[in-house]
Amino acid sequence: MTVSRREWLRTALQGIGVGMVVGPGFPSIVTAQGNEARQGTGPLTVRVSRPFDAETPVREFASWLTPNERFFVRSHFGPPPADSVKPDAWRLTVKGLVKEELTLNLKDLQQLEAVTLTAVLQCSGNGRAHHRPKVPGVQWERGAVGNAQWTGVRLRDVLQRAGVKPQGAHVQFQGADRPALATVPLFTRSIPLAKALHSDTLLAYEMNGRPLPLLHGAPLRVITPGWMAESCTKWLTEITVRADETPGYYMQQAYRIPETAVRLSSGLPGSAMVPVEQMPVKSLIAAPAEGDTVRIGPVTVQGVAWAGEAPVVKVEVSCDDGKTWEQARLLGEGQPYAWRQWQFVWSARTPGPTAILCRAIDAQGEQQPATSPWNPGGFLWNGWDRLSVTVAA
Amino acid sequence: MERMGSPVCHSGGMTLKTAKKTSGFVLAALLCPLLGWVVITAAQDDDRGTIQPAQARQALTLIHARCAVCHTTDLIVQQRLPADRWTVTVEKMMHWGADLSKDEAAVVLQFVTARYHSGAPDHLPSIEEELAMIAPAAGPRPGFEGPVTGVASRGAGLYAHNCQACHGEGAAGGAGPKLARNTILKNEGAFWETVLHGRGPMPAWSAVLSHQEIADIHAWLATR
Ligand code: HEC
Ligand code: HEC
Repeated sequence: MTVSRREWLRTALQGIGVGMVVGPGFPSIVTAQGNEARQGTGPLTVRVSRPFDAETPVREFASWLTPNERFFVRSHFGPPPADSVKPDAWRLTVKGLVKEELTLNLKDLQQLEAVTLTAVLQCSGNGRAHHRPKVPGVQWERGAVGNAQWTGVRLRDVLQRAGVKPQGAHVQFQGADRPALATVPLFTRSIPLAKALHSDTLLAYEMNGRPLPLLHGAPLRVITPGWMAESCTKWLTEITVRADETPGYYMQQAYRIPETAVRLSSGLPGSAMVPVEQMPVKSLIAAPAEGDTVRIGPVTVQGVAWAGEAPVVKVEVSCDDGKTWEQARLLGEGQPYAWRQWQFVWSARTPGPTAILCRAIDAQGEQQPATSPWNPGGFLWNGWDRLSVTVAA
Repeated sequence: MERMGSPVCHSGGMTLKTAKKTSGFVLAALLCPLLGWVVITAAQDDDRGTIQPAQARQALTLIHARCAVCHTTDLIVQQRLPADRWTVTVEKMMHWGADLSKDEAAVVLQFVTARYHSGAPDHLPSIEEELAMIAPAAGPRPGFEGPVTGVASRGAGLYAHNCQACHGEGAAGGAGPKLARNTILKNEGAFWETVLHGRGPMPAWSAVLSHQEIADIHAWLATR
């Protein structure tokens, strides 16, 4: 069914294995070319074959870092031609309200101090499929999120070299990706200057210790820790300091939510729409899996939890479909922006079907809600995670 | 045609109510008058209106040929939307460059609203699977309509709208093979067979383009 599956996989996947595709109506198997591509790669659940949108099966979230080849992929238009983003052809320009325009290659950038941090990257539409009434867009379920280690330079250091003029208030990002037809608006985004100057906002060239893969924005992408992924422009080629927020579809219409919650199914927002920014507190169950049968006795329930700029302080689990809740154990040390693994040992006693739920609370007291407020774009879903299991006698 | 008939005609009363409730304002304020009739028909008719096989065939062909230019049709099939949001979505696509006439847009809109509404089953066949299930058009297979002479200057625009997204600017190749200086241009039988009836991921154009238009594209390709 896919228009260009073979060709496309050859040019775009670059060693990233894409295996099974869930659900009838999709090709049953999409295999990457070549044995080396298949090795050490895991399956992604493909939502859209071109441009490529695919999510990570939640069982992968049993590990703290999500491997590059299993990391979810969201593409507005898909990767630019590989040649154009090869390090020797690629340039970054810094312009707009700056004292000195800059044109930098990767080596120039790497002269600046390198910074490494671990941060969750999550698509704003993650969980869109759970909103009722349903909303248009890629029907992501649970896996358009991942936790990776990013290495790069501070955006602040680059902006300081160029010198931001006093009128500069927003920093605009443009990547090298282009739509199939020129009539489609470009994916151009901006973030407020304060976030751009934050010492943790990076221009990243490495992901989990390896050069950024093409599907994830090679050679350079923005990382705005704690914020949703649409600010994390891939294939970055232009930074423009401006006085106002970027105009255009992808900033002014897409990726906006009503300032105040809208009435369920009111169809259209009744209040001002503001850009999606911070990630709300959220947790997911990585194991067991939906539909699993578990044995009577101890069952390890595990998963991950994260929040935007505040640490997660508590995760609660219910193994009786929400009637009673118990506290899970948080593993390891909390790290800003990274997710926290948690574990709960459930003594399964009653045979039969049940549901396991989890919910998290962050340091600001924000609680994961049972269901998220509806919004017309289907953004920021953070309802309790829930899966059905059967206890076998 | 049993297979086609049943899923297309089924509609949940529940969905319909949702559509009615949520769309009052939107219907009045937002509907493009050209497309509005489809939605109003759908909202008034509790059976959602049967989609005739011929209409379904035309809609599927259009979706395959005109929508898959920018994204695969899996993005379309996974939506479950009320009529008002489908209308806005199709209008947005046309605004961005989906090449549909008024009538074609109405056919596509009627199909997607009847098929991919909020109460539809989670899993439905892909556009390509549906096309494969549909019997070819009744009547004589579209064949040679007599000699047509292509006009290269008209072909340029037709190519840009229908083919460029896959075959690249200047026909230099992309998701589909390079067509400039492709030997198939000299083998007119194979060219017409491929373009009229499609091949694998290459859409069939017989229900979308006239023979004159295909000849125009051919003439333009021959100049590349
Ligand atoms: C000119 C390019 C183009 C064409 C042709 C096109 N689309 Fe789209 N479509 C887009 C873009 C761009 C998006 C947004 C994708 C994104 O944000 O990831 C989109 C998204 C969608 C969505 C998801 C909902 C949304 O609003 O994001 C649906 C449904 C859709 N298109 C249906 C269609 C249908 C039906 C057709 C044929 C009538 C069509 N498209 C033709 C460019 C196009
Ligand atoms: C949605 C993508 C898509 C669109 C749109 C498209 N094509 Fe194709 N086309 C393909 C693909 C993919 C192939 C290769 C088919 C195969 O592998 O068998 C192809 C093959 C062809 C071939 C055969 C080439 C050869 O070397 O055998 C011709 C001729 C052709 N297309 C013409 C056209 C024309 C003319 C149009 C516009 C009216 C068009 N195509 C629009 C994807 C597309």
